[in-house]
Amino acid sequence: MTAMRKLLLTVAAAAALHGQRFYPDDPLLVEPPPLDAGKPARRKVSDWYDLFWHLLATPGEKQPRTGPPIRAKNVNTLGDPMDGAWYVRRHYWRRMSIEELQRGAGGTAPPVFPWTVVAAKGEGITPGFTVIDATKRRFFIKLDPLTNPEMMTAAEVISARFFHALGYHVADEYIVEFDPKDLVIQDRLTFVNQHGIQRPFTRRNLTELLLKAPRLADGRYRCVASLALEGQPLGPFRWFGTRSDDPNDTVPHEHRRELRSAHVFFAWLNHDDSRAINTLDTLVTRDGRTFIRHHLLDFGSTLGSGSDKPNSPRSGAYHFSWRDSAIQVATLGLAVPDWAKARYPRYPSLGLFESKVFDPEKWLPEYPNPALLNRLPDDEFWAAKQVMHFTEGDIRAIVRTGRLSDPQAEGYLVDCLIERRDKIGRAYFRKVLPLDRFHVRDGELAFEDLAATHGLLSPAPYEIVWRAFDNQNGQPGETIGRGPRIPPAAARYLMAEISSSARPSQTVRVWLRARSVVGVEYAW
Amino acid sequence: MREALIAREREQKAARLQPERVSKWEERIRLINEKKIPQRLSYGYNGLRAKLGGMITQGGFGVGPEYFREDLLDGRLESQFSYQISTRAYERGIFRLRSRNLAGGRIEAEMLSMHHHYPKIQYYGPGPDSRKSGRSNFLLEDNSLDFSLGLAPARSVLLGPSTGWLWINVGPGRDRRFASADSQFPASDVPGIDRQTSFYRYGAFLRVNTLDNPDGPRAGGFYLFQFNRYNDRRFNAYGFNLLEADLRQYIPFYNQRRVIALRARTLLTDTNAGESVPFYLQPWLGGGDDLRGFRPFRFRDRNSLLFNAEYRWEVFAGLDMALFADAGKVFPRRGQLNFSRLEKSGGFGFRANVRNRTFLRIDFAFSREGFQAWFKFNDIFPSRPLGTSSTQPYQ
Repeated sequence: MTAMRKLLLTVAAAAALHGQRFYPDDPLLVEPPPLDAGKPARRKVSDWYDLFWHLLATPGEKQPRTGPPIRAKNVNTLGDPMDGAWYVRRHYWRRMSIEELQRGAGGTAPPVFPWTVVAAKGEGITPGFTVIDATKRRFFIKLDPLTNPEMMTAAEVISARFFHALGYHVADEYIVEFDPKDLVIQDRLTFVNQHGIQRPFTRRNLTELLLKAPRLADGRYRCVASLALEGQPLGPFRWFGTRSDDPNDTVPHEHRRELRSAHVFFAWLNHDDSRAINTLDTLVTRDGRTFIRHHLLDFGSTLGSGSDKPNSPRSGAYHFSWRDSAIQVATLGLAVPDWAKARYPRYPSLGLFESKVFDPEKWLPEYPNPALLNRLPDDEFWAAKQVMHFTEGDIRAIVRTGRLSDPQAEGYLVDCLIERRDKIGRAYFRKVLPLDRFHVRDGELAFEDLAATHGLLSPAPYEIVWRAFDNQNGQPGETIGRGPRIPPAAARYLMAEISSSARPSQTVRVWLRARSVVGVEYAW
Repeated sequence: MREALIAREREQKAARLQPERVSKWEERIRLINEKKIPQRLSYGYNGLRAKLGGMITQGGFGVGPEYFREDLLDGRLESQFSYQISTRAYERGIFRLRSRNLAGGRIEAEMLSMHHHYPKIQYYGPGPDSRKSGRSNFLLEDNSLDFSLGLAPARSVLLGPSTGWLWINVGPGRDRRFASADSQFPASDVPGIDRQTSFYRYGAFLRVNTLDNPDGPRAGGFYLFQFNRYNDRRFNAYGFNLLEADLRQYIPFYNQRRVIALRARTLLTDTNAGESVPFYLQPWLGGGDDLRGFRPFRFRDRNSLLFNAEYRWEVFAGLDMALFADAGKVFPRRGQLNFSRLEKSGGFGFRANVRNRTFLRIDFAFSREGFQAWFKFNDIFPSRPLGTSSTQPYQ
């Protein structure tokens, strides 16, 4: 018995046990109004502990080795996360204009000079400081490394726009050039130097900090200015479990679709630094309710950038794994991993980014991320269809926001993203039937074959079998028709099972209620 | 209604809310990191810190205070003053002033003063045919003061003069398990073993450095040529010329995850009539940085030739393994500078790296004289200050 068949039986049994499958308000597109989160305390995590914990133990509930897999638990009956504190359906569901894509999470209000420096880093991999601009807004300023002008700032801004269009909550970011004269140091400002000693922060410290960054020909510095997120920072979220102080956080993070599927987005944009510290929860108040919103942060280590240097050529592999390490020891390094064979052109503003060796199914972040590890083919398809939705024009427009001065580098980056996108489509449209956008038209069930739409190998033609569906016990009934035309039936709910002889193990089930699509489920 | 279901789940959770907590271990590790405890320990107060380790091979574990500043003269001058005593009663003092970024990096100036008290330096007798069983030891004490000035006509090239003074005292070895060198070898075979002297030395150097990362190179080359004249200030009997050529090349492949590291080094001495090279300043081979299959200081003579080759591969981020082969010899006459009668050793090792810097090297080496294991806190090809001699212990 295949795992999928077991899953279907389990789902059916669970439905029978739990009663009805669909409720009158399904499919729910927006999360219900959140409960008031009260006053949760800020929680700090240890980056080192987090790293070793994940490398050596990988916390969270894992997919079972045998038996039915655990599907994403935070989705509506159409298989989408609801708009809310984690996610907002954006580009795939409503094509964003080029201007919207380029604006990202804001994009219309860059910081205004003069800037008052209110905090500074005495250490860290990239030089940076915090400013309050002339309009009293707080921005975090980060600069490029000396060796790679434009690299980190471009990666940060470009990826922030992609992740915004992909539906995540991200910061509003700008590439800005500033003159050191535009900076004013706050009175009695102190900082902790690289040795952990608190010192007054003086003009000289600022100069020393700027010495680590490339200077433009006109004496200014290029930086990325990241607007402080709305709300009170509460610390990062973890990629497993739930926050114990958040009443609205009820689904373990390793079973959230948008977190599992992030693997595909991370692979596309080479966001291999998927640690908890690159996320942030903030306490936001809207309509009189206080709730926790979850963000992705810090995209300086994406594309070919490693923030303070080009990304490691290891990108796409764990820092450590027992198996790979044993292979390297046993073979004296003669077993060369694919990532080590990649060839990179010399574009200092891009770092190390390529598309020829890239394989989305082999790509890995720096450490085992419990949510990413739990992804299933339907999670991957959900992400892949969004990646494929970006046209060449969309990609080119977003890359342009990185303001790369070398047109060849910009062109190379666009080409790489397109090739990586297409590899993602080929990889994940193969694992489930690549069908979506189900709707009823002229009395027939209609849908889009995404493989055909994007010029990939389609498993068409498809066969559709109709059954009556007993919503109260969640059981399909007898076959009542075949083909796209919706059969006349007395049942309020109908279920169409779509299959293809080219991929006999893959099906898509679509549920109709009153001739409207109310549910979709992929099987593989 | 679905909304009601979700609301009920939330209400159930709201009834059992707890403050977010992290484990005690995570909290401790976070605090250590956040409060920069390791950095504070190593930096200390206002530049005063503890200096740990770094003694010469078999010198024991050294501990002592160090005053280190890198921000003097607006960051253009770096100073280091340290004094250590080891578990084997070795002592080492260093006072060093070094320029930083003078004339846009085109000038490098340095003053280095060192004191060593090494009571148990191994000595196996002169020449390539010394016997392993002939191990003895001697006391070496030295004080030196050197100045070097380097000019950089091109980005990776540095050349310039150096000058300095060296005061040396040798005496009976303090390791009672072995004979003292002065009782085992006659002064006729071991020049300088019975008389103390001091030297004035001067010379010039040329360095071409194209390494990608000096602390853990994976690509590029390092080529050093140094000539020094040592004038015996007391007896006019132990003066000599020392020519050193040290050539290193790193050949990376597979995105620098595989590296072949090569080194060829020779130290050649020359004397005027009536002069001889004192044994304690003769080139030596053997130990964790050159002929790794042999004991430290295993071979000494007037000249040396050394070849090292390593193939390194990455096991995981932060750890490389290496297979290596060493070959070298010491020889009395420069005419013997050839490939005959090379001593050979080979083995494998591990290199632990943090942020592209090798902080721990473990090598297991084999030779005709047996097996050696080395735990070192440096790259296989360590560098030493310009103008000082490779025949004088720096560590």
